[in-house]
Amino acid sequence: MIRAILMTGLIGITCAFLSCFITLKGWSLMGDALSHSVVPGVALAYYLKFPFSIGAFLTGLLAALSMSLIKVKSKLKEDAIIGIVFTTFLAIGIFLLSIFPSQIQIQTIVLGNVLSISDMDIQQVLIISSITFCFFLFQWKNLLVFCFDPIFARTVGLNTIFLHVLLLALLSATAVAALKAVGACLVVAMLITPGATAYLLTKQFSKMLFISTTLGFFSSVFGAYFSFFFDGATGGCIVLLQSCFFIIALYYSSHKNKKSQKIILENSNISSESLGPTL
Amino acid sequence: MNISFLDSLLLPFQFEFMTDAFILGMCISLLCSLFSCFLILKGQSLIGDALSHSVLPGIIIAHALKIPLTIGAFASGIFSIYATKHIRDRSSLKDDTILGVVFTGLFALGLVLFAKIPTDLHLDHILFGNILGIERTDFWEALIICFFCFLFFIFYFRSLTICHFDEVFARTIGMNTSFFRYALLVLVALLIITSIKALGILLVIALLITPGCTGHLLTKKMGHMLFVSAIVGVLACLLGIYISFFIDASPSASIVLVQTSLLVILVGIGKLKKLISNSIG
Repeated sequence: MIRAILMTGLIGITCAFLSCFITLKGWSLMGDALSHSVVPGVALAYYLKFPFSIGAFLTGLLAALSMSLIKVKSKLKEDAIIGIVFTTFLAIGIFLLSIFPSQIQIQTIVLGNVLSISDMDIQQVLIISSITFCFFLFQWKNLLVFCFDPIFARTVGLNTIFLHVLLLALLSATAVAALKAVGACLVVAMLITPGATAYLLTKQFSKMLFISTTLGFFSSVFGAYFSFFFDGATGGCIVLLQSCFFIIALYYSSHKNKKSQKIILENSNISSESLGPTL
Repeated sequence: MNISFLDSLLLPFQFEFMTDAFILGMCISLLCSLFSCFLILKGQSLIGDALSHSVLPGIIIAHALKIPLTIGAFASGIFSIYATKHIRDRSSLKDDTILGVVFTGLFALGLVLFAKIPTDLHLDHILFGNILGIERTDFWEALIICFFCFLFFIFYFRSLTICHFDEVFARTIGMNTSFFRYALLVLVALLIITSIKALGILLVIALLITPGCTGHLLTKKMGHMLFVSAIVGVLACLLGIYISFFIDASPSASIVLVQTSLLVILVGIGKLKKLISNSIG
């Protein structure tokens, strides 16, 4: 149990870290698509008996690349392309599982089951998280520039295609890591909500990263803890907790905004009144 | 030999549950295809994704309170539309982020409720659908909802098209554009709820995207697009159920795979034709 809680904490941090970049880049639904697209990879990996992370990562990356390719080649809107690609991948996964029934339950893939996490899974998660953090350390500035202003990034001579693929690869890798903890359906929440919450609260990127990782860590740890009392809906608990934080942040920030607008209004009133008589 | 071969080809039509599935699949896919054209053009395809996930808590609460599942699902679908609008008014977040936050939050709530409230619902059936095991009442309910949506579509086809293509113009000539925008969302929510029993939360989305895209890629006129997408949608649904009977696969996954293959084949043929006509011309 303790192991599971620590594991979800680590996954929560990694996802939250990435979620800042994704929210800013407008790729939120890419996370959704990728997390659904890994299902056939998991299914295939179980049949062919290789670590499921590799299979999942490969299909996730394949989905991401095919989306980019179709986007260049056709006139369809991006959301439509995402929709087509990920439903197809998901359908392939379910199709495979229904034709060759096996020991894996589709529910564990879709909904996750962190309490049954094995040593091998832990190793995989550790490797994925450390790789992700290494890339971020080395490519920190470049990724930041790329996310905020891709055109500027290209102008100053950065290899934007490389960065694009790198970010996609990191995204699929993290989605795979989180798959075990919260399942394909809720990975997307781990990849959106912390970033979105932090975005509401601050305007500085470094603060945003800090808030989002803290939130990701705490909601994962406490979510996993609470799920003990809820008969195992770990993913559900984690995401619900994150959503609660989001709601609080939303009202807090809109309250603050109103206050600051009021102050501005009052100031302008005072100034217009003070100007009034002289005019 | 010949006759037995034919018999085995017609075998699926001899079971009542199969004919039910065919009829239901046909109606649902027809309506979904028609609406998918509008969603695609407006760039709202992922609204289907969001709505289909957010009905889960509604279904479970309705089941616990013993009210019809459709009402619960509809209520939580509408709630998600409202919540999205509410957050958009209050923050500067991007639309897709808001959708993502809202629908995953509701889905997570559904999962937690499912774990806490003991029900005899099968999560498998909600997630992946069960078109072959539709109950009689559900069947008629679905047909009635489809009929209602179809009527609305026929009556307001013109207004819907105008609102979608040129909202400013529509408002100038005195149309109630926000009514049509929300009417479309409500109808899509209704359709999704009906289809969930057949296809499941996860694959309904494909029905609301793929046929419209096929139509969009093949033609330039709205009328043609609707026609193509309706035909592709219905054909894919029938073929998918039919094939799944023989290879013992999940019907909903087969339907989606047939849809995507039809999309690829048709667009491929279209490209080839263009190439040939270009080289001749």
